Amino acid sequence: MAEMEVKQSGGKKGPGVKKSKKLSTRIDLTPMVDLGFLLITFFIFTTTVTQATAMPLNMPKDTKDPNLQNKVKESGSLTLMMGKDNLIYYYFGNDPATMQSTNFKDVRKIILDKKKSTPVDDLYLILKPDKDATYKNVVDMLDEMTIDDISRYAMVDPTADEYNKIQQTEKAAGIQ
Amino acid sequence: MGRAKIKRGNTNVDMTAMCDVAFLLLTFFILTAQFKQSEAVEISLPSSVSNRHAPEKDAFIVSIDKQNRVFLNMSNDIKGDVFDELVKERNMNVTPDDRKLFMQTDFIGVPLNQLMSFIRIPSNQLKNTQLAGIPYDSTNNELQAWITAAATAASGDRLNFLIKADNSTKYPAFGKVIDAFKKNDIYKYNLVTNAEDVPKGSVLYEENLKAQHASGK
Repeated sequence: MAEMEVKQSGGKKGPGVKKSKKLSTRIDLTPMVDLGFLLITFFIFTTTVTQATAMPLNMPKDTKDPNLQNKVKESGSLTLMMGKDNLIYYYFGNDPATMQSTNFKDVRKIILDKKKSTPVDDLYLILKPDKDATYKNVVDMLDEMTIDDISRYAMVDPTADEYNKIQQTEKAAGIQ
Repeated sequence: MGRAKIKRGNTNVDMTAMCDVAFLLLTFFILTAQFKQSEAVEISLPSSVSNRHAPEKDAFIVSIDKQNRVFLNMSNDIKGDVFDELVKERNMNVTPDDRKLFMQTDFIGVPLNQLMSFIRIPSNQLKNTQLAGIPYDSTNNELQAWITAAATAASGDRLNFLIKADNSTKYPAFGKVIDAFKKNDIYKYNLVTNAEDVPKGSVLYEENLKAQHASGK
C-alpha cells in the first residue's frame, strides 16, 4: 500500500522538546494512473494489426486450340489497359482506335455503366496490363472486379498495336 | 433540538489498485505484442478487399521486390523436403551441415551456384549484402526448378502458393513468375495483400450488407 498508518503520538512532551513534524507518506497516485492509461491508449492506437490477407487468383491453362478459347461478344466487351503513371486506357468492343483514358478513381463508374447496359451473359472484361504497369495496378484492378461483382474477365497481354497506341498517347501527354 | 450530524465522507479514493491495473495491462500488451521483424528485403504490399487470411502452413512464398528480384520463402514444414528434392534433381553435393544451415535461413535470395555461400551469411548481415535474387528468365529459370522441386516434394498434398510482390514491382516480373508456375501446371495462387475496407456504396458492399441481414434473421 502506498500509505502507512502513522501513529499519532499521544501525550505532551516536556517543555523544550520540539514536536517533530509528521510527514504524511500518502502519495496521490492519480497522475500515475493517468500516465498508465495514456500509455496503454497510445500503444493500442499505434499498433497496426498486420495480419496479411490473401487474394485468391486462379489462372486458366494456356491453350492454343481456338475452339477452347473463350468467345467474346463484341457488344459486351470492355478492354481496360493499364499503363504508366496509374492510368487506364479503355475501349468498348473491338476497336482500339476509340481508346480513351481514365484513372483508378473513375474506372468504377465506367465498369458499372457497362455492366448496367449489357446483358449479364455478354459482359466480358479484358484486362491488359502493359510493360509499364505496376503490380499494384494489377491487384487494384482485380480487386475492382471483386468490388463491382464482375464474374467474367480475363487478363492478357496487350497486342503490339495496342501497346504502340498507349505509347503514343503517353508520349503526347508527356508522361515519362 | 439536536440535529443529526451528517458524516462527511472522504472523497479521496485510493488510486493504488487502479494504478496496479493500468500498469499490469500495459505490461501485458507490451509483452504479448509481436514485433515485426525487420526484413532483409522490404516489400510494401498493395491492399485488397479480400478478407481471407493468408495461409501459413504448407506455404511456398515467392516474393518480388521493387527491383524485380525474386526471393523464396517456405514454411518450415515443407522446407526440408523441398531442399532434398532439389538436391536430388540437380545432383548437388551437400553435407548434413549444409541442410541444417539451410533450414535456418529465412529466405533464399541467390542463384543455386551461390546457395552454399548464401546460407553461411549470418542473418544479421543479410541486410548489407547485395543479393542477386533467384533467376527467373527463360534462359535460366531456377525459380521454375524450385517450384518443380516443391511440387514433387509435396507429391499430391496441396501446397499454398503465395505471391508477395511490392507495390511498384513492374507487371512483366509478376507475369514471368506466373509463367514459371504455369509451366509446372499450377494455376491457383494467393496474392498476399493488406486488408482494406470495402468502399461504401459499391456493389460488393451492398451484397455484404444483404448477407449480413440474411444471417441476422
